[in-house]
Amino acid sequence: MNGAPRWTAVALRLRPPPVAIAILFAALTGGALVLVSGHDPLQAYAEIVRGSLSRDSLPDTLNWATPLVGMTLAAALPLRGGMVNLGGDGQLVIGGLIGALLPLVLPGQGALVSIVALGAAALGAGLYAMLAAWGETRHGIPMLISSLLLSYPAVGVTSYLARFPFRDVATGLPQTPMIPEAARLYTLSGPLDAGSLLIAAIAAAAIFVDRRTVVGYELRMRGKNLRFAGYGGVRLDRQAMRTMFASGAIAGVVGAILVLGSQFRFIDDALLSPSYTWSGLMAALLVGGEPAGAILSALFFSALQTGGFAMQRETSVPRVLTLVLQAIVILFLAMRQGVGRRAS
Amino acid sequence: MSGIFTPFLFQSAVQAISPILLASLAGVLCGRVGVFNLALEGQMLVGAFAAIVGGYFSHSALGGVAAAMAGAVAFSLVLAYGATVFRGDPVVIGIGMNLLASGLTAYLLRVIFGVSGTFSDPGIVGLGRIAIPPLIGMPILGWAFGRQSVLTWAAFALTAVVSVVLFKTPVGLRLRGVGEQADAAETLGIDVARYRVGTVLVAGALTGLAGAQLALGAVSVFAEDMSAGRGWIAVVAVMLGRNNPLYAAAACVLFGFADALSINLQSEGLPNQLTDISPYVATLAALVITHRRRTRVLKPPAEVDAATPGETATTQRAVH
Amino acid sequence: MPEIEAVGIVKRYGGLVANDGVDLSVDRGEIHGVMGENGAGKTTLMSILFGLQTPDAGEIRIHGAPVRFHSPIDAMAAGMGMVHQSFKLFASLEVWENIVYGAEPRRGPFIDRRAARAQVAELAGRHRLAVDPDATVGELSVGVRQRVEILKALYRDARVLILDEPTAVLTPPERDALFGVLRRLAAEGRTVLLVTHKLHEAAAITDRVTVLRDGRTVAVLRTAETSARDIIRAMIGRNVNLIVEKGPAQAGAPSLAAVDLTVAGAAAKPVVDRVSLTVRAGEIVGIAGVAGNGQSELVEALVGLRPPDGGRVEICGIDVTAADVETRRAAGLAYVPEDRAAVGSALTASAADNLAMGFQRAAPLARGGLINPVAIAERARALIRRYAIRISSERAAVGKLSGGNLQKVVVARELSHDAPVLIAEQPTRGLDIGATETIHARLIAERDNGRAVLLVSAELAEILALSDRVLVMFEGRVLADLAQAEADEDSVGLLMAGRTWESA
Repeated sequence: MNGAPRWTAVALRLRPPPVAIAILFAALTGGALVLVSGHDPLQAYAEIVRGSLSRDSLPDTLNWATPLVGMTLAAALPLRGGMVNLGGDGQLVIGGLIGALLPLVLPGQGALVSIVALGAAALGAGLYAMLAAWGETRHGIPMLISSLLLSYPAVGVTSYLARFPFRDVATGLPQTPMIPEAARLYTLSGPLDAGSLLIAAIAAAAIFVDRRTVVGYELRMRGKNLRFAGYGGVRLDRQAMRTMFASGAIAGVVGAILVLGSQFRFIDDALLSPSYTWSGLMAALLVGGEPAGAILSALFFSALQTGGFAMQRETSVPRVLTLVLQAIVILFLAMRQGVGRRAS
Repeated sequence: MSGIFTPFLFQSAVQAISPILLASLAGVLCGRVGVFNLALEGQMLVGAFAAIVGGYFSHSALGGVAAAMAGAVAFSLVLAYGATVFRGDPVVIGIGMNLLASGLTAYLLRVIFGVSGTFSDPGIVGLGRIAIPPLIGMPILGWAFGRQSVLTWAAFALTAVVSVVLFKTPVGLRLRGVGEQADAAETLGIDVARYRVGTVLVAGALTGLAGAQLALGAVSVFAEDMSAGRGWIAVVAVMLGRNNPLYAAAACVLFGFADALSINLQSEGLPNQLTDISPYVATLAALVITHRRRTRVLKPPAEVDAATPGETATTQRAVH
Repeated sequence: MPEIEAVGIVKRYGGLVANDGVDLSVDRGEIHGVMGENGAGKTTLMSILFGLQTPDAGEIRIHGAPVRFHSPIDAMAAGMGMVHQSFKLFASLEVWENIVYGAEPRRGPFIDRRAARAQVAELAGRHRLAVDPDATVGELSVGVRQRVEILKALYRDARVLILDEPTAVLTPPERDALFGVLRRLAAEGRTVLLVTHKLHEAAAITDRVTVLRDGRTVAVLRTAETSARDIIRAMIGRNVNLIVEKGPAQAGAPSLAAVDLTVAGAAAKPVVDRVSLTVRAGEIVGIAGVAGNGQSELVEALVGLRPPDGGRVEICGIDVTAADVETRRAAGLAYVPEDRAAVGSALTASAADNLAMGFQRAAPLARGGLINPVAIAERARALIRRYAIRISSERAAVGKLSGGNLQKVVVARELSHDAPVLIAEQPTRGLDIGATETIHARLIAERDNGRAVLLVSAELAEILALSDRVLVMFEGRVLADLAQAEADEDSVGLLMAGRTWESA
């Protein structure tokens, strides 16, 4: 091998990756938006950075990252196989409600109760997500639509349950009773609890499965060419069901972690208002579902969102700007990839 | 005709149908030229917000409607060029646009009106209702159509217009050809990209009307994420209607009644958390009923790309 | 003065030069053949003549005057019409809609449906191209669809008609009918450009032939004064041996069997209709037939990609009728699919990943659910060496490979299964002569190693050269099972058109 090809490889690597260009483009468009609304974009962005990465704010970012990394993985898994799970909200609240109710009724002590609650949350949410895959493999109902539509009844019913049959009569608010202290997740340091560790473990497992297992290989091949995978002997129906189960299970665990680790009860709408599902989906789309990249982009998005609070506080630029930035990144990337596809 | 079949049910059903119907007509048009439009939800939301902005500054309903159409058309440029000239994945673009609409309207709500959540102002003029005296006295028809907004009438009229254009005119024939077999249309000298971009923008105007009906139809108000899944229901209506405006309209009628029924059930004392889900349950039920067959023949990606999601076994994409 | 000329046409796609100074000159009322191997630049030249591509250099002249086509509209306005190899039709629309599309007769803002249908009927009658204007195109047979394509061009009053490989999808009788139509069109003063790679067709109908090789015009020959061997030599640049060397088959026990296999289609008639076949170890059984007569569906049912609606499939004596692809592969099946890009590979995946498919669950590539990347890479390197696949490394994506190299990836993978049964579907489609020879030799070698090979091909010559037995499929049924000695172009050609020996 002579030197020439290696030099071109270096040159190729020096070319800025599309994601970086997309982020730059979003920053510029978002900056224009801030400017038009009468604020200083540089100051706004500086506050985002300070409010997310400084020593004081870093714990907040990591705290926000726990559920977001989880929901990103939940979205990334099906995406890796060319499927889309839009029903993360429904799966999240199912997991959250199970996590909030089981400790109230389960006998016994501490850690065991929370483990059972986490497992049950994963199972319940996973099965619910699998319903969409079943509809597609058995009846040809597109999962893209059905997973989203299934979300609405789940949200409605859990909301009803938290407001009526299982309402905490003592507070009168739309929430379930406090779960006993012994069943809560251990706090490690600051805002980090056992739930963060669990998410980290799931993340590590996702990377390992993707790179080193038969299941991961088959899912990747499905994502690259569905017909090729089917022709090669991959059992597509079963694979779709399993993948959606895993995706829903992760979402359910995230819901349960939030309930057992920080909210200590199921509060109506509290799991949904930060819109982890959609941020997670966007973080996963950013890297085409590749788990390691998905984790990085989830961390990036949590920094963005945590910084958004500081920005709103210090400059009165609405923090919803960060959602706009995320959407622009995705849109820009979607079109750039299209251009690349045409060239090849 | 007592119990749940009250005059109010019919009136609110027709009212609920109109934004979904307008959006699904937009979806039908896009589907016919082979652009799968998942962004209806966001387009409607932008339309609704623009309607309030236009209505607020022009002090007229017409100004609101015009602004809604202009805003939604401008927003639709993303899909019009993104999914055609730039060849982006329509699913990713749709998801991105819906989130962009949600974020952008919430941001502008704070910047322009300085509020969050909801905004209304006595200066905003709602859409006028057309009262048709001979109808008002009649049961059912009178209940349904006696007093409805201009845009509700427009929605039904446009259903007919879209059908006629699609199936009786040269432009319609060309649109249908572009969606079915773009390269065939191209060899016959049709500028496929231009037809697609134009159609998506016209469809954008329809979603603007849908948004205007949401924001100015019953009460003049904008609420964050007020499209509340209606755009997705419209997507399903397009699917169930197999890109035919009349069938899609029939699906919308079903969802409209489910929606109206939920309001009625609420007044009967059922909690709204449960009644609110009835349009979605109706939608899911319709999907299950119409898909009760086994489809397990894998289709090539080209067909999956086509804008008939009801036909595809698995959505296939490349996002990396 | 020639009706149409192309002078010094150059067209590049990135680094690839598709046309490198092509000259073509066709007279009015002439039927002119354009011949060449795959990749010689025929299709590019035709796309330029019809305005679908613009040349990088050179010019087109009509009656001696230079013209520039920026789109098919320009070409059509100048009197060009084209029938593409893969039909450009709207399946869900009716015949008249397909024909008037883009140039509709109007009444006010609406399409004048009555006038449109009348014009189409009149045109069809005048040129003796029988079609029902109200039929839905998707329900028509391939031959009738081709008539619709020709009518489309005539509706736009094409004086020059380009047909790209028009007989690839036709039975011999349909082909003869088409040639009749073309002769009449030429007789009334229209000019016909016939792109083909079939020698006997060029001999049968053309007045002159222009031969392209590697993007250049290498010969213009007067058909009546030319032998087939001259044309071949011009096309290939050397003398080639068209006969595949092989000894007699040593057929053993049945390895692949289908009994009354039936696949229902969208229409009332099944696409595969009670097909029974047996392939024994050590023989090649060829399935001949015009494309679209149920061969693809038959193969899909055999390999497990399509559930059969009746009948039985056995691989090495095991009943696999209800089994999925994985189980059938485990029972001893390897499969080279028709479409190497859409089915046979994942274009954005690495060669190593592509070559691992089907082996990913078993040792040495996987153990206990974990894959072994080192073993996968080693295996890929070994196969790339053995099959001389031209690729930079096993980590490179296969999407950039040429058709022949991609096909080698698919064939290498499937043959390395050492499965007793091999199904090869259109194994040499779109490959050059060199790659075709390599693959043919491999198939013979596999046969001699005792494998049962089922070969499906739309190229009758390929079937006849390789097969020990030939089955002919027509409209979903197997019409005949011929030994090699009984199978020749005439007998099989007749059967491909649906006529059996007795009725012929």
